[in-house]
Parts: sequence; structure tokens; C-alpha cells
Amino acid sequence: MDTARLLVTLLGFAAIGWVLWYFLVPPEKRSPQDGGRR
Amino acid sequence: MSLGAPLAAPSESGASGAVRVAFPVVGMTCAACVSRVQRQLAGMPGVRDAAVNLATNKATVELERGAVTPQALVAAIRAAGYDVGTESVSIAVEDLRFLPDVEPLEAALAVVPGVLAAAANRAADTVRVTYVPGLVPVARLEHAVTAAGFVVAAPVVEADPVERERLLREREVRRLAARAAVAGAVALVAMVASMPLMAGATTGSADLLTRLLMPFHHALGRALPWLYALAPQTLKIVVFVLTLPVVFWAGAHFYVAAWRAFRHRSADMNTLIGVGTGAAMLYSTVATFAPGVFTRAGLPADVYFEAVSTIVALILVGRLLEARAKGRTSAAIGRLVGLRARLARVVRDGVELEVPVNEVLVGDLVSVRPGEKVPVDGIVRSGRSAVDESMVTGESIPVAKTEGSAVTGATINGTGAFAFEATRVGRDTVLAQIVRMVEEAQGSRAPVQRLADRIAGVFVPVVIAVAIFAFILWFDFGPQPAAVFATVSFVTVLIIACPCALGLATPTAIMVGTGRGAERGVLIKGGDALEAASRLDVVILDKTGTVTAGRPDVVDLLAARGPGAPAAASEAERAEILAVAAAVERHSEHPLGAAIVRAATERGLEIPEVAEFEAHRGRGATALLGAHRVAVGSAAFLIELGVDIGPFTDAVDTLAARARTPVLVALDGRPLGLLGLADPIKPSAVGAVRKLLRMGLEVVLVTGDMRKVAIAVAGEVGIDQVESGMLPAGKVQVVKRLQAAGKRVAMVGDGINDAPALAAADVGIAIGTGTDVAIEAAEITLLTGDLRAAVTAIELARATMRTIRQNLFWAFAYNVLGIPIAAGALYPLAGLLLSPVFASAAMAFSSVAVVTNSLRLRRFEPTFST
Repeated sequence: MDTARLLVTLLGFAAIGWVLWYFLVPPEKRSPQDGGRR
Repeated sequence: MSLGAPLAAPSESGASGAVRVAFPVVGMTCAACVSRVQRQLAGMPGVRDAAVNLATNKATVELERGAVTPQALVAAIRAAGYDVGTESVSIAVEDLRFLPDVEPLEAALAVVPGVLAAAANRAADTVRVTYVPGLVPVARLEHAVTAAGFVVAAPVVEADPVERERLLREREVRRLAARAAVAGAVALVAMVASMPLMAGATTGSADLLTRLLMPFHHALGRALPWLYALAPQTLKIVVFVLTLPVVFWAGAHFYVAAWRAFRHRSADMNTLIGVGTGAAMLYSTVATFAPGVFTRAGLPADVYFEAVSTIVALILVGRLLEARAKGRTSAAIGRLVGLRARLARVVRDGVELEVPVNEVLVGDLVSVRPGEKVPVDGIVRSGRSAVDESMVTGESIPVAKTEGSAVTGATINGTGAFAFEATRVGRDTVLAQIVRMVEEAQGSRAPVQRLADRIAGVFVPVVIAVAIFAFILWFDFGPQPAAVFATVSFVTVLIIACPCALGLATPTAIMVGTGRGAERGVLIKGGDALEAASRLDVVILDKTGTVTAGRPDVVDLLAARGPGAPAAASEAERAEILAVAAAVERHSEHPLGAAIVRAATERGLEIPEVAEFEAHRGRGATALLGAHRVAVGSAAFLIELGVDIGPFTDAVDTLAARARTPVLVALDGRPLGLLGLADPIKPSAVGAVRKLLRMGLEVVLVTGDMRKVAIAVAGEVGIDQVESGMLPAGKVQVVKRLQAAGKRVAMVGDGINDAPALAAADVGIAIGTGTDVAIEAAEITLLTGDLRAAVTAIELARATMRTIRQNLFWAFAYNVLGIPIAAGALYPLAGLLLSPVFASAAMAFSSVAVVTNSLRLRRFEPTFST
């Protein structure tokens, strides 16, 4: 059970970090093509 | 027309070289959606500004002329994960059925920018075009048909935008109602079918919903024993099958939209619902078909199918209520548009024809019978009547109309009949302009929304992070079975969070507030004007035309009493003095002379003819009335003529001190009477000023007039701050000086000379019959000349901002309190854990509450009913 806890904790915090990074990166760090597609 | 030709002449033009287009956007549900669409549009090259309104579901984009194609706009909206609202129109094309190939026609239409599809129907001789309203005018479709060599059989009438919005909304309401009904029915059945499974519910003691359901559980066990006899696995599979249509049809939109948003690295309301119910669905599905995964880890294989369908059902019901309520927020526009006349009686070639009002042309002679609506704006050419203009000006007393009077469309004719020449039709009429102004105001955003927007931008990712964090806490430190508690709180946090309340807080209140204003004759240009008007410190009133009627009138009349002091004239003396004075002044061009003549005609006096009229500029005039020599003019002028004005000397001084212009009338060298002329104070001004002062506002009177006059007027209406002798630039200086002292200033005025000050003030209020220039410069336009409408405007602004603040407070407080509770903050204290089903009900309620609170503004009643 302790292994499971450790795993959930690690994965959980990694997920939090990833969610915040994925959604909140400022637009200028995205590829320039993305915003003004025709 | 080539593929993707840039937008040339869409609905409106803004600043030079820029065009403004407005078009519907579908699929937005919350503030995060709004900011995403806004960012996507604003990031396009050639787009100067983009404003997206959640309450109207509209995007307003300011573009550089010719820089952006409609296709690019549509693509941008779709790239953001949403879609544009479309409209279909059938164009009747002559002889389509004889055509071997309809493809050229369809192709010709399909390349028109803003057209999404064109399909010809040979059997009906029509071609059905699906297009984005606002991006392509219907006239251009007709033009494309003609240019391709076809003949349009009947003119295409563009759908009324208000009607169009109503239809779109109805379609949305119907769609939501069907889905909510299915999800609701499934939820009910699933709830009943899951009851036996709850017998061994592991979270029974903590989950509020389970606690509440326990009595039903026992009753149900007695009522439907066969249900309890079924194997749990069979029940699970039955409920799973029932839930499928909820996930794949009723709630499919949430998952599709959430996925689309995800691909564009953004998250919104749908993400929360999608991830929340998705997690519950996934957990339950695994628990049903591979329970070993859980049991091997020592966890119970519980299912939450009924929660999934209940959540989807409740959220859909919430959206349904919200869509209905949002429809009501724009009802004011519908009422305004409904004021229009449908038909007009036009005289062409001497024949009176009844034509639809949109076919009336400028220059047409339109006849109006008693009781009918005036169809368009124009100038009366024959006949006379009194017209009720209350729907445009708010003033209930009918206005007399004779040859040369201006009439406004949508006003109601009284008992007379008249014919008028149409001067403004269609989009140019006063009513159409009012509607446009209100529409623009309703689409605008208030600065107070900015904070909500900033929060909405990061809201959803932060909520997801909080949900994961709650999961970790429960899993690591919670009671057994920890995985179940962790999953429940994870789902509940996602479901309870509601960015939609944040997104709706401001726009719904602005829509209702500006709409209510329009009904009261107060046109507010937008959210920033409302906000500024709610926080004023000082109101500057222009004297002439705002506080006073704006033209001189005879307000005092004294008659000679031999050698004694003159006294107030009797009715007979009044008639004599006025008739004599008017007889002379009729030939004068002086404005004071005109006032005297008007006073005489208004009393129905017969004005005698005079001879040998002689004007003495700026001093007076003389003439021969029969055998009598008459002189009318200032005291100095009459003394110059040798008249002994002795008894009148004191009266003349008294009048002058009271800011009246004294005019003496003499007959054969003897003074006959004394007239006091002044620009009379509007009867409503005193009450309005008193109310403004009671509202805690400073009131300042500015005027180009002399100090003496200004002080007299200020004294009569109860103002103690006076700025006299002001030129237009001086009025601006007064505004700037007050602003420099840290005060927020409103300027109320009507004339061209007030326009600079109106523009300089924080809030410019153009009053009444104001000139176009004044209206252009002002943030708020009062349709009546009544100063009390300015009070109404400020009261309305305050009420609207109060509503916005309440809404924002509620939306913030709801999330700030709800999310921790959902995460289980109350569990250590009260042993209470919220069920995801409760969370979804709370979420739906929170956004409905915001819209309902905004709708309360519809009942706003001003102090003065002008």
C-alpha cells in the first residue's frame, strides 16, 4: 500500500505540474504558426 | 468574386480604415470560452480589436479594411474549438428546373465570403444558402446569383436580426430540453436500479446523498423486491447500458468540446464536466467489467453510473434555464424593434399604395391616418395632427404637428391625418439608430469584468490541479477505502467549480440595464459608460437648453398705474400690451421680438398692422399703429425718445436684478407696460437638481451667459456653484479642473457648443432634442428634454453596477467556498463529504442565480417616471 501511495503522490504532483504547464504556458512560447493560421 | 475575398463592406464602419463585423458564435459556456475566442481572434493579423459577449453569444471584431477574410474568421473560431452561428436563406431563382446542371450556381454562391454551403433544389426553383449572418449581407448573395447569369425571381428579405436571434435561441433551448429530458429519465431509472447496489455502499456514512437516499432505499426494498433479487453484476450491466446514451448523445457535447479545447491547450467549463464525469464513468466501467482490478488491490468495485447521468441531466437543465433567461435579457431590443410599423401608405403617381415599411424610399409621400403608426422619419407636407412620441422620447404629452414639422417613425398619430415626405428610412431612422446603439451597448464589456476575465483564464487548470491535489490527499491520508474517497472528491471538485457564473456576471446585467434604460428613453453607450456613471462625484449642467427651455419667453408683464408704480397686468391689460408690442416686433428680427410675438399668438391675440416700422439695432423699434406712435425697447431707448419712464424705473431695475431682460412699451410718449423676458427654467429642473444633490452629487451650473443671469437661474433651481461667461473651451476647462481635483465628472448639455465638454467629461450626457454632434460626443443620450432623465440614467447605472458587484461577489464566493467543501474540507470537522450529484446541482444553480439576479433589473423603477 505504501508503494501505491508513493506512486499516486508522485504521479499526482507530476500531473498537476503538467496540467499547469500545458494550459498556462504564455502564447508567445507556442509555435508562431499557431495563432494566425489562415 | 474570388475565393476568400477580404471583407469590404460589412455591417458597420468604425475608425478610418477599419471595419467592424459582428457574428454569432456557438458553443461558448463560460468566461474561459470567451477569453479563448477573444484571444484567438485578437491574435489574427489584421484584427485590431475583438470583443466576445457570452450573454449575446456574439463576437464583435474590428478589422483593418481588406485584411481579413470571413473564412479566416470562421477558421479562427473553429480552431478555438467553437463554431460560428449560421443562417439559411432560400433564394428563388427563375427557371432553375430547366437547367441541366446546377453546379455553376452552387459554386458561384459557395465562393462568396461568409457562405458555408449552397444547395440548389430544382423541384422548388430555389437555392438554399447557409451563411454566417453579419459576415455577408443577403444582398451580396443575390448579387452572386445575378453575376453567375441567373435571375432572382423574388427579392430576398433578410431575416430580422432580432427574430434570427430568437430562432437560434429557441433551437438551442429545444436541443437542450430534449437532451436534458433523456438524461433526466435515465438518471431516474439508474438511480432506482442502483439502490440495491447501495446496500453495501462503502461511503454510506460520509456521502450526504447516500445518507438522504437511505430511507428510500429501505422503502424501495419493500416495494420492488424483485429488483433486490437481481444479481449485483446484472444490475451494474443494466445501468451501464442505460448510461451509454447519456454519455454518447445527451452529454456528448461536453466531451467533444472538452477534447477540442484540450487540443488547443485550453480548458473550459466542458473540460471540468468532461473530466469529472469521464473519470466517474471510467472508474465504474472498469468496476463493472474488470472488478478484479479493484478487488485485488483490496478496493471495493463500486459503480457511479447513476451519478454520471444525474450530473449530465442537472447541468443540461441548468444550461436550459440559463439559455431561457439569457433570452429574456435581450427582450428590450425585441420590444424596441416591435415598435416599428409594418406597413406604410405611400402615394406614388397620385395613387395611395400600401407597401411594407422597408420598401418606403426617401422622398416618398407617406400618408398617415388617425390612430396609425408613423412608418418612417420625415417632414409633414400637409395636414395637421398631434402625435404621441412617448415611445421615442418618453414624454407622454402628444406633440402638435403641422406643415414643416418633423415626424419620427414608430410614433403614434392622434386624431388628425397628415401626409409627410420620407427623409430617413430603413437603417437611418431614429428608431433603427436607437436599436443599433442599444445593441452595441449590450455587446460591450465593462472594465469591472476584467478581473473576472483574468481569473477565468487560469480558473480551469487551477481547479484541475486542486482536484488532483485533493485526490492525492484523500488517497494518502484518507480513511479506507481511500481510492473511493479520493475519486469522489476528485470528481466533485471538478463538477462544483463554475466559471460560467463569472462569465455571465457582467454581460447579463449590462444587457438588462441598458435595455431597461432604452425603454425609459435613456440610451447608454456601453459598459464603461455605465460604470463611470455609477461612480460620479460632480454633475455639470449646461444652463441653456438643459436647465432652461433654451429660448426666451415673456415671463413678467407689468402695466402702468398712472404716476404710481406699475403693477402686475390684468388679463385685459396683458392682451393690450402684448398686442401693441407684438404689432411692432412682428417686423423685427430680434429673438426677443420673436418671443413677444409668440407670446401674443399663443394667447390667440389679434396682432394689428403697423406702418413706418423702424428698427434701432440692439435697442428697440418704433412704428405707427393707426394714428398712434408706438415704441418698444430698452429703458435707455425710450428715454432717448423722450418718454418719461419715471414710474417704471424701479421695476426695470428689479427685473434686471432677477436676470430678466426688461422691455418697455410706450404709446404716444407715455409708458404703457413693461415686459420681462427670460429663458424660462424647465419645470422639471428644480426636482431633478434637488434629487441629484440628495444622491450625494455636487451640481455645477455652467453657461456662456452673464454672471447675473447665471446666478439668478442657479438660485431658482437650487445650485450654488456657478461658472458663467463660458465659451466651449471654458466649459472644457471647468471639466478638466474638477477632474484634476480627483473628481469624476458628468456633463449634461445639448448643444454643439457643449460637445467638447461632453467629450472631455468622464460621462457626457446629451439631453433631449440634442444635436447629432452632442449625441456623438456623449456616452449617454437622453431622448427627452427632461433633466430628470439624467437622474434616471445615474440611478440606473448605480443599480446595474450594484447588480454586477452582487453577481461577481456571488460567483467568487460560490467557487471559493464550494471548491474546498467539494475537496472534503468539511470531512474532518463534520464527517461530511459532498456527493458529485449535489455538486452538479449547485453548479447549475450558481449560474442560473446570476442570470436571475440580473433579470431583477427589469423591474428597476426610477424616482421620476419621465
